[in-house]
Amino acid sequence: MLSARGLTKHFGGVVVADALDIDLMPGEIVALIGPNGAGKTTLFNMLTGFVRPDAGTILFAGERVESLASHQRARLGLARTWQRPRLFESLSLVDNLMIADRDYPGERLLEMVSRPWHVRDSEIKGRERAEQLLARVGLATRADGRSTRLSYGQQKLVGLARALMNDGRCILLDEPMAGVEGRTVETMKEVVRDEAAAGKAVCIVEHNIGFIRDICDRAIFMFNGKIVAEGSVGDLLADKRLTALYFGSHQ
Amino acid sequence: MTEFLLTLAILAGINVLLACGFNLILGYGGLVSVAQPVFYAIGAYSSALISMKLGVPVPLAMILGALIAAIASIGLSLPSLRVSGDYLVIASMGFQLGIVHIINNVEITGAASGLSGIVSAVESPSRSMIYAVILMCICAVTIFAIRWLVTGPYGRAITAMRNDEDVFASLGRDAVRIKVTLFAVGSGLAGLAGGLYAHYFLFLTPDQYGIFSSATLLTMVVVGGAATVRGPVLGAIFLTVLPEAIRFLDLPIAVMAPLQGALFTGLVILFLFVKPEGLFGGKAGGGLDAWQGRDTGGSGRKGVK
Ligand SMILES: Nc1ncnc2c1ncn2[C@@H]1O[C@H](COP(=O)(O)OP(=O)(O)OP(=O)(O)O)[C@@H](O)[C@H]1O
Ligand SMILES: [Mg+2]
Repeated sequence: MLSARGLTKHFGGVVVADALDIDLMPGEIVALIGPNGAGKTTLFNMLTGFVRPDAGTILFAGERVESLASHQRARLGLARTWQRPRLFESLSLVDNLMIADRDYPGERLLEMVSRPWHVRDSEIKGRERAEQLLARVGLATRADGRSTRLSYGQQKLVGLARALMNDGRCILLDEPMAGVEGRTVETMKEVVRDEAAAGKAVCIVEHNIGFIRDICDRAIFMFNGKIVAEGSVGDLLADKRLTALYFGSHQ
Repeated sequence: MTEFLLTLAILAGINVLLACGFNLILGYGGLVSVAQPVFYAIGAYSSALISMKLGVPVPLAMILGALIAAIASIGLSLPSLRVSGDYLVIASMGFQLGIVHIINNVEITGAASGLSGIVSAVESPSRSMIYAVILMCICAVTIFAIRWLVTGPYGRAITAMRNDEDVFASLGRDAVRIKVTLFAVGSGLAGLAGGLYAHYFLFLTPDQYGIFSSATLLTMVVVGGAATVRGPVLGAIFLTVLPEAIRFLDLPIAVMAPLQGALFTGLVILFLFVKPEGLFGGKAGGGLDAWQGRDTGGSGRKGVK
């Protein structure tokens, strides 16, 4: 589904990605773990086109994508969320989601003018799907409100729902649980599980070990820009050496 | 006196079109360009010359002038924006100097002494009256078209882009495409304004399209309220009428010229820092501060987290 080879990135002499190989399979939930500054977000940024790697190749859905722009990769079905929710504050929740429809004709002025009925049609469908997704994360009643009135955890859920609007083949989640508590935790778990069950490749950066243990099939451990271990979640969590690396730099 | 007022209304209408176009670029597109007067010039000279040399009817010549301005704008914005938004500022300066230089030195445009003998759009004893009414109608249509553009599906995309461009891209949206489109529509409006000017005043000189004109347009948009529909309309009317009102004070020219200059500069600085949403902007998602970087809740430009 998504496989990267030899992704390398230097930031001013510091190696934050050192010949990284990663493979994500349909239906599988992979955890990407490691201490702060290990380079997890940078890896996501390289995969989604926000950071240009110094070297390496990325194959997504049978296509080489490393030279494509971010929006082009997204349109191939590569979705992501961010460490912070980063919702569009001037838009209502339902608009936040509608704009994320993979094929959103409203961004093309010529099409707006030449095929107004098509645009109207996809607006109606888009709104319907956006409302369904908001209902799925338990925020149906807030659809027309602004994001600024939500709790941080609720904003994270909207961020997730917005990424799901893409309805592509692969989704990368950057710390979905950070700042999330209470009932939201279970909702988050269910939604992610459902996505994998629907055949999507899911990769999650997360510090919440309980969450990883509950829903991930496989784990990758990163440290200082390198992948130092890969295997079942149980094995990695039991590895004393990794625990030392993880907590050693946490202090 | 009525003739004077009608001419003032026509000028105000032309400035409304220019300011609305520039607002699409600056306010909605977030693109800093000084080249708006150049597209005004391109529209004016193209329309004038097409009708003079090729005998094309004036309304058609005006439309062609607007199209030429829009297409020329893509030649500037597409390569610049591929590099970066900051590059456009510099490229637009070069573009402005270059085009004004060409107009100043080519025979067909009448060079520095100006272009005269332009075909009048309306031949009638009450020419000014008719022209003023036509302009009001064009302005009304333009304002409604812009309203339609910035609300609804396209407006949703513009707002999202202004809020957070990285997230916008991560959702599959193409910000460069939207910016180039806004730039072309805004420049096309300037081109149309140019044609409307040419076929009424019947005389063009290159010094109308310099950096002073860029500053005036910027003032109209910023004072009225960038990224709002009515802001630049009211800003343009206000700042067309105000200098004329000052003229009624009957000050000596040595005082008046610097006074007008200081007024415009002062207004821009005042509004950028004290009231970025503009005089008439209100707070409905408008204003330049909705752009990221100024937006406290936003992401900042650097650091993709
Ligand atoms: N744009 C940038 N310019 C320079 N250095 C950067 C940039 N982005 C990240 N870094 C550095 O790269 C290293 C890896 O950062 P990254 O954000 O990928 O870590 P992370 O594993 O996601 O950490 P966390 O768990 O804290 O989110 C850090 O040392 C960070 O300071
Ligand atoms: Mg991170």
